[in-house]
Amino acid sequence: MTKPLVVLKNVQKLFGDFVAVKALNLEIHEGEFLAIMGPSGCGKTTTLRMLAGLEEPSTGEIYMNDQVMNKVKPHERDTPLVWQSLALFPFLTVIENVEFGLKMRGINKSERKRRALEWLEKLDIIEFADRDISTLSGGQKQRVALARSLVLEPKILLLDEPLSALDAHLVIRMQAVLVQLQRELGITFVYVTHSQSEAFAMADRVVIMGNGEISQVGTPKDIYRSPQNKFVAEFVGRNNILSGTVFDLTNFGAHIKTVSGTFSVSLKTDKLLKGQEASFVISADLVHLSGSNPEAENSVHCKLISEEFVGSMVTLFLEDKSDQEFKVQMQERELSKFDLKPGSDIWLSWSAQSAHLLNVN
Amino acid sequence: MNSNRILNIVLAAYVGAIFTFVFAPILFSVIFSFNSQRFPTIPLGSFSTEWYVKILNDPDIWQAALNSLIVSSSTAVIATILGFCTAYSDFRYNFRFKGPYLALILLPPTIPLIIMALAMLAWLSKLGMSGQLWSIVLAHSVLTAPFAMAIIRLRLNQMDPDLESASWNLGGSEWATMRYVIIPFCKPAIISGLCLAAAVSFDEFAVSWFVSGLNKTLPVVILEIVQGNIDPQVNAIGTFVFLISMSLVILAQIFFVYRQMKSTNT
Amino acid sequence: MPTKKSQKIDIYAMTWRLPIIIWQLLFFVGPVIFMIAMSFFLVKNYRMTEAFEFINWSKMFSKNYFWDSYFYTVTIASISTILAMLLAFPASFALAFKASEKIRRWAIFLLIIPFFTSYLVRTFSWFVILSEKGVVNALLGYIGLGPFTMLNTNFGTLVGYMTLTLPLVVILQTITMANIDKTLIEAARNLGCKPLSTIWRVIIPLSKTGLIVAAIFCFILSFGDFVAPFYLGGSQEPTLPILILDTTKSGQQWPRAAVVAIVMMITLFTVAFIGIALAYRKKASK
Repeated sequence: MTKPLVVLKNVQKLFGDFVAVKALNLEIHEGEFLAIMGPSGCGKTTTLRMLAGLEEPSTGEIYMNDQVMNKVKPHERDTPLVWQSLALFPFLTVIENVEFGLKMRGINKSERKRRALEWLEKLDIIEFADRDISTLSGGQKQRVALARSLVLEPKILLLDEPLSALDAHLVIRMQAVLVQLQRELGITFVYVTHSQSEAFAMADRVVIMGNGEISQVGTPKDIYRSPQNKFVAEFVGRNNILSGTVFDLTNFGAHIKTVSGTFSVSLKTDKLLKGQEASFVISADLVHLSGSNPEAENSVHCKLISEEFVGSMVTLFLEDKSDQEFKVQMQERELSKFDLKPGSDIWLSWSAQSAHLLNVN
Repeated sequence: MNSNRILNIVLAAYVGAIFTFVFAPILFSVIFSFNSQRFPTIPLGSFSTEWYVKILNDPDIWQAALNSLIVSSSTAVIATILGFCTAYSDFRYNFRFKGPYLALILLPPTIPLIIMALAMLAWLSKLGMSGQLWSIVLAHSVLTAPFAMAIIRLRLNQMDPDLESASWNLGGSEWATMRYVIIPFCKPAIISGLCLAAAVSFDEFAVSWFVSGLNKTLPVVILEIVQGNIDPQVNAIGTFVFLISMSLVILAQIFFVYRQMKSTNT
Repeated sequence: MPTKKSQKIDIYAMTWRLPIIIWQLLFFVGPVIFMIAMSFFLVKNYRMTEAFEFINWSKMFSKNYFWDSYFYTVTIASISTILAMLLAFPASFALAFKASEKIRRWAIFLLIIPFFTSYLVRTFSWFVILSEKGVVNALLGYIGLGPFTMLNTNFGTLVGYMTLTLPLVVILQTITMANIDKTLIEAARNLGCKPLSTIWRVIIPLSKTGLIVAAIFCFILSFGDFVAPFYLGGSQEPTLPILILDTTKSGQQWPRAAVVAIVMMITLFTVAFIGIALAYRKKASK
């Protein structure tokens, strides 16, 4: 991560009266894998389309290599995009699809073919070179789409939810392919997705967007452990969010009074006032279970509502007396220590260091 | 249950009767064309190719057939170009007065041909452009462009809207994208459009009759023979015309349906 | 689509948008407007001179034969419309509700064929079939009926009109009715609605728009056709299209033909307008 390759400065995009993206400021570095994540309609795809020149910012500037790109037409840029719909040309064969961009750049036929074959080889689809697109499987089409963009040897590759149409097991495989490609080529990937697991698994940095604004930028770990605000905490999903008022301040942190009880939160730099409203989060995997009252600093008595198994991980959904919801995530074999059924009583506890205070906004 | 079955049989028979009515004239025209009788009736006369021999030896008919071929193929090209431009404009752009714009191309087929014929005759004479083969082409292109437009517009509806942007994104200018993406994608519909426009033009007689002057097309020749009296030559010409029109329509169908199936697999 | 704010003319967009505008202005709007203008021109010694006189209009409107022809054409086109709608309905009903999707597609494809076959040849074929010694009379003769005179009668004209309109009407009716939500019909049947009253109270109201569109097309086609009334109806009573034909071809009275054509167009627009208004009228309280 050296100098910024792309800079978005106060970029705003309006569609009529609708503000799709408001006052976006972002630097994208050379060689990084950046994921832009957010719920649908948050402006992430519009941002990507502006990078590709398919939309022009209403105000603000986009710089690439220190040049203003606002007015540069899509075909005059080197920003290939891997589309959610893949947008492969159905009337062309696999190799013709891959050659397309080179043909548009006026490269001669033999050179085109050589480079296309090289990429088909790299992506392990060379055997399909002369096949019709319609005869390929989802994963194979995905590779064609990647080859079609990468054959142009761009500095930056844009990806718009490219894996959303694939089966779960293929998604994992393609994630590995993407990460490896990005490391090998050393080019910048800007990857738009609504899927946390995709973003967290692959990206160096993640941008969380909501309502056309950036909510947080950071490494996956930053975002996961220290969400800056409620939106991010909720979006990340594996968080227990508690809200209340500041009851008491000590040298180590604060006591916050909520409907479920009073809990202590260790503070780092944040300044709080007594009586102020405050929210904090505890990551679901940092919550401990115990059969009886643990007599710990932060504990709640809950009832199990339901369980959800994903692989060897299990997520418990619980509720306390005041209907506050809690989530606990743990290894399945740890869970077997407790004999739990929906409706069972159980105690939750966590350390003050696990609780993370959210910015008030 | 039983009355329901009877009803179904009656309805099926009725549908059969309607289809018989619709296809009887086409069928009889073909049968009569191979019939020796001058006034064909039942029982049929003997099999004969007399009428075909007669038209094949008639230079006027050959000339008319050639004229028809020239008119319908030129019409098809012009109408399909116009239809394509309009279909693409409608697909790609939103602009003011788009409603009237579309009405401009879609309205002509709803106006009775005899009125179009009179209006075309008067206007083209005024411009000194009537009485030529290409006068018919001008008029027919207006009448058939909507058919080409409709079929190409349907095809564009099936296109992934990202396809055009994808081409720009890969470095294709708008013009190159038209050449290498839009037109190849629409190719089956363009061929269908050509066939349909040609078929409609090939059969049209009212406008052709009014504006053609001495350059008669086949339908105009039929019109003039029919005005005289019963002449089974008409059946022979009709069968020939029918064959050509049908081949065009079936070709159009094949191109459209075949590609449609192929693209839905994508 | 990239939004283009610049006021510069987009040459690419105009390349696709303009051709049809120019072409249709020259060869569609031009002819129609010129025809309207022509209705005010004068004809002297078989030569048309540009003028602005109402003489063609007053001449035509004062002629009894014009009004006779007008009312005859409106009447026979209306009869043709009603007849086609009634004849087509049971067939469309069967295709929409009794036939499978596959049969329905095939039926519609078959019904499109006549549009691309010569209407003239089909009319001529009827001329032969319906003649005094034609196929129909020969068949009727076997069971001791006839011969009937079918040519040069209104019956002949109507056979021609049906040849022209029935395929289209069946297609439009079938498509409209096939698109009705079948559960509504079952609901009506469950509530004790008898088959005939289901048709009358459920199916027809639900397919009203499509049925009216079919009727409008049928009227336009019958009203504007000169082949059927000329060859099968024997133009005993000339319809307006035959009037245009005669006035243009033999009389060299183009301005008067233009008057007839304009009257026809006004009539058609009125019919279409009323029809569309009816089709989209909010359902009256019942």
